[in-house]
Amino acid sequence: MKHFKSLVRPYILWSFLLIVIPLVLIVLYSVTTGGNSLVNIQFTFDNFKKIAEPIYLQVFARSFKLGIITTGICLVVGYLLAYQITRFSEKVQGLLILAVTVPMWINTLLRTYAWISLLSDNGIINSILTAIGLDPVTMMYTDFSVIIGLVCDLLPFMVIPIHTSLAKMDKSLIEASYDLGAHKWQTFWKVIFKMSIPGVINGITMVFLLAISTFVIPKLLGGGQYVLIGNLIEEQFVSVGDWNFGSAISLILAVVILIMIRVTKKMEKMEGGSEQ
Amino acid sequence: MKKAKKLAAAILVGVVVLSSLLFTGCGSKKVTLKIYNAGEYIDKSLISKFEKANNCKVVYDTFDSNESMYTKLMSGEKYDVLIPSDYMIERLIKEDYLQPIDWSLITNADNLSENVMQNAVYDPEHKYTVPYFYGTVGIIYDTTVVDAADVAAGWELLNNTKYAGNIYMYDSERDSFMVALKALGYSMNTTDTAEIDAAYEWLVEQRNSMSPVYVGDEVIDNMISGNKAMAVVYSGDAAYMITENEDLEYFTPDQGTNIWYDCMVVTKDCENTDLAHKFIDFMTDEENALANTEEVGYTSPVTSAYEEMKNGDYAGIDAYIPRVGYEKDEVFLYQEMKVKQHFADLWTKVKAY
Repeated sequence: MKHFKSLVRPYILWSFLLIVIPLVLIVLYSVTTGGNSLVNIQFTFDNFKKIAEPIYLQVFARSFKLGIITTGICLVVGYLLAYQITRFSEKVQGLLILAVTVPMWINTLLRTYAWISLLSDNGIINSILTAIGLDPVTMMYTDFSVIIGLVCDLLPFMVIPIHTSLAKMDKSLIEASYDLGAHKWQTFWKVIFKMSIPGVINGITMVFLLAISTFVIPKLLGGGQYVLIGNLIEEQFVSVGDWNFGSAISLILAVVILIMIRVTKKMEKMEGGSEQ
Repeated sequence: MKKAKKLAAAILVGVVVLSSLLFTGCGSKKVTLKIYNAGEYIDKSLISKFEKANNCKVVYDTFDSNESMYTKLMSGEKYDVLIPSDYMIERLIKEDYLQPIDWSLITNADNLSENVMQNAVYDPEHKYTVPYFYGTVGIIYDTTVVDAADVAAGWELLNNTKYAGNIYMYDSERDSFMVALKALGYSMNTTDTAEIDAAYEWLVEQRNSMSPVYVGDEVIDNMISGNKAMAVVYSGDAAYMITENEDLEYFTPDQGTNIWYDCMVVTKDCENTDLAHKFIDFMTDEENALANTEEVGYTSPVTSAYEEMKNGDYAGIDAYIPRVGYEKDEVFLYQEMKVKQHFADLWTKVKAY
């Protein structure tokens, strides 16, 4: 094993270049003024003060609300899907999991554009609705279109970890549960779900993190007025040119995410502890 | 252990050598020209035509607003030829980012319309700029949905609650503030804080009462398929949309609007200035300019192309013939960094509201 240690060195350098330096730059930008030239910088906390303005706090609140809704829907749909998949033979399971990941082979942008042509006011769904004599519904540029886009994009991140936990589970535990007189619902809630909690927590963390930091889907399906944290950051870097403020928002988001990861890890441990 | 190390080193060296060979392989054979233009703003076949004619490679990138182009340039990205708008050109000139055009190399200079060449507050002597397209900003509306009588309201049409939820605004700070400032009767180049704040209020109120959708180039497809009743658009996009959907009509409000000129400029970073000038010359050639304006619908500064389109494909479409000489119309002027920042901030707030 010893010789692998020296092989790792280039990668340490590599990750230092690609991860640590950009992070340091973000921190530096977030506490300075002077735009994107690092020549005449001044230290300040104004960038963080600016985030406390109600308008920007509202953006944070909106992003979290949307993240929670998306994660909730993904959890319900993803759990059902993963659970159904585990009931097939192992060979079929492999195929079904492959089918879940197939959409991920296609670029997110393309999938999002597909939703646009489905959901737009004169799109495919509304054409069908009018053809069968119903009134068309406005779906594009609403919460509905953004949530549906996010759920479809992030569902595999929920299904796969849950499926992994469920597939690893010892089937004899379920039999034991029935033998001991538990009915179907009790068996599911007290045995199957309990055993799949690590997968569920993984899934929730991944989906939630991706949902609150996304910016492409809300921009395309929600329009320019649908501003989430990701859009706010993108805007600061791309069109406003205020890299300092953008970095400050990114930093806050990173800290929030870090705390949440800690919390979910704690929860996972507590669950694991109660099992024994 | 040693073996593994050696093997790893050999592989690394191999990869480095191979990749450097690959990269220089492309570079040394053909000269490249890097062009940065707005999206949906060129007949792409012209690029391959230019590549063939000059045995070079064109790297063609697009931006979605002048502001995002500027930010990218400031982050250190290098291009040879840019096609920004008037006020951004002024900024680039002031910041010493452009090099002068050598007009002796532009053999097609005589093709350019006198009128367009004279109306250049951004660069009166055309020291740095060769016009690419020009036009106005106005409202395109669906005649089957919007009452002809309502159109007389000009920009206030965007505040007519009859059409709430049925409007696209353009997702660009300067254009949106131009609409608000003109609707209020102010100059679009104002630096008066009270006037800017009033415009901000106008936009926020409009957002609350009309729930518009702020879009970029998507507006073209959306209006053609009739998704909403009206949209704030550039005249050239409007001309194109009208040819695709004849229910659409374009007008420039009486309160005045923005007249803009987009020009080709050469950056200080450009080393192969010969090729850059060749490209500019190529785009002002009568035949190429015609192909270009035909494809994108914007008004060409090349006289013969303009005349041909006015009497041909775009006959009867007002959007192709920009309103010139109306006293309330203005050209965007250079904004001090502080003012620009203020506008950008307010625009973020309007959208995040």
